[in-house]
Amino acid sequence: MARREDFDVCVIGTGAGGGVIADQLTAAGFRVVALQRGPHLRTGDFVDDDELKVIWRDELFSPDQLETWRPDESSPTETGQFNMTGHCVGGTMLHWSAWSWRFRPDEFRVLSEEGPVEGASLADWPIDYEEMEPYYERAEWDFGVSGDAGANPFGAPRRRGYPNPPHPDRSAGLQFKAGARKLGYHPFPTPIAANSQPHGGRPGCLYGGTCGGYGCPIGAKGTTFAVSLPKAQRTGLLDLRPNSLAFEIKIGRGGRARSVHYIDQSTREEQEVRARHVFVCGNAVGTPHLLLMSKSDSFPDGLANSSGLVGRNLMLHVFTAASFVFDKGSRVFTGLGSHAAIDDLHASDPSRGFIRGGVVGSDNFVVKQPILHALWRGSSYPGSDRDWGAGFKDYLRTFSRTASVLSVGEDLPMEANRVDPDPDVTDEWGLPVPRMTHRQHPNDVAMSSWHADRLLEIGDATGAVERWIALRVTDEEPRKGSSHLHGTCRMGDDPSRSVVDRWCRSHDIPNLWVADASVFPTSGGYNPTLTILANAYRVADYFVSEAKKGAL
Amino acid sequence: MLPLPVLDPQPRRSRLSRREFFARSALCGSTLWLLWSLPRPLALKAARQSAERLVFSEAEWKLVEAISGRIIPTDEDPGAVEAGCVNFIDKALAYEEADLRRLYQAALRAIDGLAEARFGQPFVDQPTERQDEILLALESGDVPGWSSDRASPSEFFQIICAHTIIGFLADPSYGGNRDYAGWKLIGYPGPRHEFGGYTPKQMIGEEKIQTVWGTEID
Repeated sequence: MARREDFDVCVIGTGAGGGVIADQLTAAGFRVVALQRGPHLRTGDFVDDDELKVIWRDELFSPDQLETWRPDESSPTETGQFNMTGHCVGGTMLHWSAWSWRFRPDEFRVLSEEGPVEGASLADWPIDYEEMEPYYERAEWDFGVSGDAGANPFGAPRRRGYPNPPHPDRSAGLQFKAGARKLGYHPFPTPIAANSQPHGGRPGCLYGGTCGGYGCPIGAKGTTFAVSLPKAQRTGLLDLRPNSLAFEIKIGRGGRARSVHYIDQSTREEQEVRARHVFVCGNAVGTPHLLLMSKSDSFPDGLANSSGLVGRNLMLHVFTAASFVFDKGSRVFTGLGSHAAIDDLHASDPSRGFIRGGVVGSDNFVVKQPILHALWRGSSYPGSDRDWGAGFKDYLRTFSRTASVLSVGEDLPMEANRVDPDPDVTDEWGLPVPRMTHRQHPNDVAMSSWHADRLLEIGDATGAVERWIALRVTDEEPRKGSSHLHGTCRMGDDPSRSVVDRWCRSHDIPNLWVADASVFPTSGGYNPTLTILANAYRVADYFVSEAKKGAL
Repeated sequence: MLPLPVLDPQPRRSRLSRREFFARSALCGSTLWLLWSLPRPLALKAARQSAERLVFSEAEWKLVEAISGRIIPTDEDPGAVEAGCVNFIDKALAYEEADLRRLYQAALRAIDGLAEARFGQPFVDQPTERQDEILLALESGDVPGWSSDRASPSEFFQIICAHTIIGFLADPSYGGNRDYAGWKLIGYPGPRHEFGGYTPKQMIGEEKIQTVWGTEID
């Protein structure tokens, strides 16, 4: 044990949650140490957008990621990389596609809206949209969301517009919008947290095409790496420690968190850092994993776990996607992950045979890159019955005319879906890897099936010469992971039914906080990151005001 | 889609050699696995220096080349043979993919054995219809005398398919995609960060796009 220093706050993880916490608390004068398990890359590292290196070899973001998955407790696990996360400074947000939504007001009160559902653990959030609204606004302005306020008639109400105008169109998005209008839908520019013009001291996007899955080489994409952490560092109050893998939070006298133990992966030494408050922001897999590894005589079931709910209610979203081929270029390899969307399918309508809904965006990064496109063929391309040979070569030829639509649906929480430390598989440090146990709810399958039909209708309306379902949730093909992770430390007012309170502070340990999507009681039918950001601002505001009162 | 299986249930201790396709994508959640590690800088450097054989014997090289040529056949456009996919695979097996060398060698022996048994001649001497027949047998797992316990015949076929496809579409510096044959076929102009991205007119097809090999596409 080498360093043992005292800080006001230790933040574990520097993605959307931890990055904002580090920024906001240093701005208020607190001394913050931030631990991030991976390296601190530089913007120049993102200039090389070689697909093999970045996507397939994963040289940059999380080459050391290892986890296991099983559908239920009686099944054997598979070992691999299932979730699309980032371990370097800036977290997963570093390679996000930057779709930036405010949850609709009803998404904060799903239990009240829907009533109990068999097999699901629906809950209301302890906060409502009105409380979140100013924080959404702050997140949109700090991270430079580009969009057309009011263009989505089904979106959440807002007091202020976006800081940047919408991004320019792309051929695929124009086709999508025309087709959607034919069906009576209301297409609008996808709100994206990348600058469409210089904003916040960062330049406008160059539309190079490698956005989602890649880092931004000019900082046009809004990330905590480009926005929050540099600002925090300029205060002189942030001690940012990359290559620092937290593996245990120790509890001291009075039942308060005392220190965080981590492995400095560059020196291979164990370190301890003391802080008066600890924020765990390691995403909905990493956060419960750390809390459950932090066992002691006083906390034999892990920290903050008197409810038994740490790690439970893992939600992955319901992704459904269709691929289209046009008779002319789609230009889908240019620009951002998505340039157009519809939200007409979002409102819950039980007459469809399922509850809840989600947003539909044109395109996604899987069809934007040659190898991803080739290997995402799905055996479902109508022109070929094999994954090789002449028909497959014809599929390759469709690349520049291909487009896609993707729906992001709200999945239902289930207590059996969980994350815990795997007792059988360890990483190179001998630590148990995170184990996911996850099975879809029947509502998820019904939603995906219905959405698949709507996506194919959109394909027909765009005039696509070929269209097929490339991805859906079925009982035969379970989701083993996601880029959207939520729910494993849900927030609530009842300590027996939630892990953290409305301020994302542990019910059990008064100086332990969680500020990532782990705290989401339900997943919403939108990409989660803007809500993680907004909630982190909200929690930071509370922390600062309480600290000033001397109440912490 | 290539349902590439987990061949070895034990996790690696160092750099992982497993990737789940959709875990690497925005979507995630597929059942599909890819077992392998892609060429690391040593292989990249070797590929840049030379297209000489490093791992395969001359006969193995020709056999892998012929198989790749059925995975992405040559028609009016170049296929895997012209793109040099065998060179990409040779460099991968020379370095970080070295643990798959023995699998390749055993599999190639079995494939030629199957060709001899069925048709009395090695794979490369067969007409393409018979080559496809042999590959279909491989894909369905029907290969007598298969000796590798590392992977089943169908798993090996999935691996060589993925190697071929990625060799066809990865940056030419990795040893495949020779003369940008893969990117020309699919109409991909090359990575763009270093060239300053695209203009709004290019994004809606009103302005041509300069490719990395110098021509323009509409």
